[in-house]
Amino acid sequence: MKYIKEERIKIDKSKITKLAAYHDPCNYGRKAQMLFGHGYFQEPRWIMDQCAEEWVDLYPMEMNQTCCGGGGGTLTTGNDEERVYYGRKKIDQIKASGAEMIVVPCHSCHGQLNNIKKEHGFEELEVKYLWEIVADALILK
Amino acid sequence: MTEADKRVNLDQLDHDSCRSWDYSQDFCVTCGICSSMCPVSGIDDFDPRKLVRMISLGMENEAVDSRWPWICTMCGKCEASCPMEIKISSIVRKIRSLRERDEVPGILHKGLETALKTGNNLGLPKEDFEFILEDVAEEIAEEPSFENFTVEIDKKGANILTTIHNKLVNTHTDDLKHWWKIFHAAGEDWTVPSENWEGTNWGLFTGDDEAMKKMSGRIVDHMKNLGAKNLLWPE
Ligand code: SF4
Ligand code: SF4
Repeated sequence: MKYIKEERIKIDKSKITKLAAYHDPCNYGRKAQMLFGHGYFQEPRWIMDQCAEEWVDLYPMEMNQTCCGGGGGTLTTGNDEERVYYGRKKIDQIKASGAEMIVVPCHSCHGQLNNIKKEHGFEELEVKYLWEIVADALILK
Repeated sequence: MTEADKRVNLDQLDHDSCRSWDYSQDFCVTCGICSSMCPVSGIDDFDPRKLVRMISLGMENEAVDSRWPWICTMCGKCEASCPMEIKISSIVRKIRSLRERDEVPGILHKGLETALKTGNNLGLPKEDFEFILEDVAEEIAEEPSFENFTVEIDKKGANILTTIHNKLVNTHTDDLKHWWKIFHAAGEDWTVPSENWEGTNWGLFTGDDEAMKKMSGRIVDHMKNLGAKNLLWPE
């Protein structure tokens, strides 16, 4: 955030052409709010505003967001069937939002969504890290 | 499962076994809001209300042996809507912590053990790690506007020290590039430690507080030893 505010990096919004949606990871949002009293809801949305002309929120979001299903180490416990089933709600929400790209700031969400999108009939969905869209939209000297 | 198996084992009803747990489990009014919020309610007969009631009744062993705590992602959705403010995801983590370590499913405990021994979940030796980082840096330097890009490992006094997620030096090396490119564009002074660089902390998932402390302690040590001013720990 600091880089963009101080104009240490410059962003070209037109570089992100697909309609993006933002997903709140449980740990950065709801759980941070419950444990530490501050959920990171506004900060990533501000970055989204800087990087994309247009983007959408999923419903529900922030405190009421639905987990992607890849958290809590479930990507590594071998209970894969349950994990894929868990993610159906998230994929449905992304479909309902009309987005072609989902932006997440979490490694687990990223891995999970890429892993389950095919099974839920959304293979063309592009999954991006929040810092990846910043890197993609950089104006280079 | 036969009918006999399904019957609740009354020997398990030991009110004292979870007495000392302070997650407010005894305040549960069995309203079921948590269960209707949970995306995996119904799988394997699981739902959070049942788990809370089991702990309140003291059915500790049954909870520890069950698959339920490992199907839950500890997402906290149940907890955020519980009118009695019961710490459901903390209960899940506590139950996970009581599993025999060898019985922790999948690679979670094995990865953690490897990390405690070698500094990362993969057991990747230092030379290989440095080779991968430098290789990726060279790829970036081939792109326009990044001609003089390099990665400086173990640099002292850098403004930012960053940890690495093991998958980024394993199967997803391209995903190392995003942050690095931003650093480059911003003219940042940054570094990566050559050892104990693992950014994930699987003790969070297995309920292992000791291991978590040790993993985080290593990062604190880096900050001190390398004199870095800020930490980027995206995992
Ligand atoms: S929401 Fe809270 S009070 Fe209601 S059943 Fe679940 S744990 Fe009990
Ligand atoms: S924390 Fe676990 S039990 Fe609660 S809603 Fe999430 S997955 Fe369900």
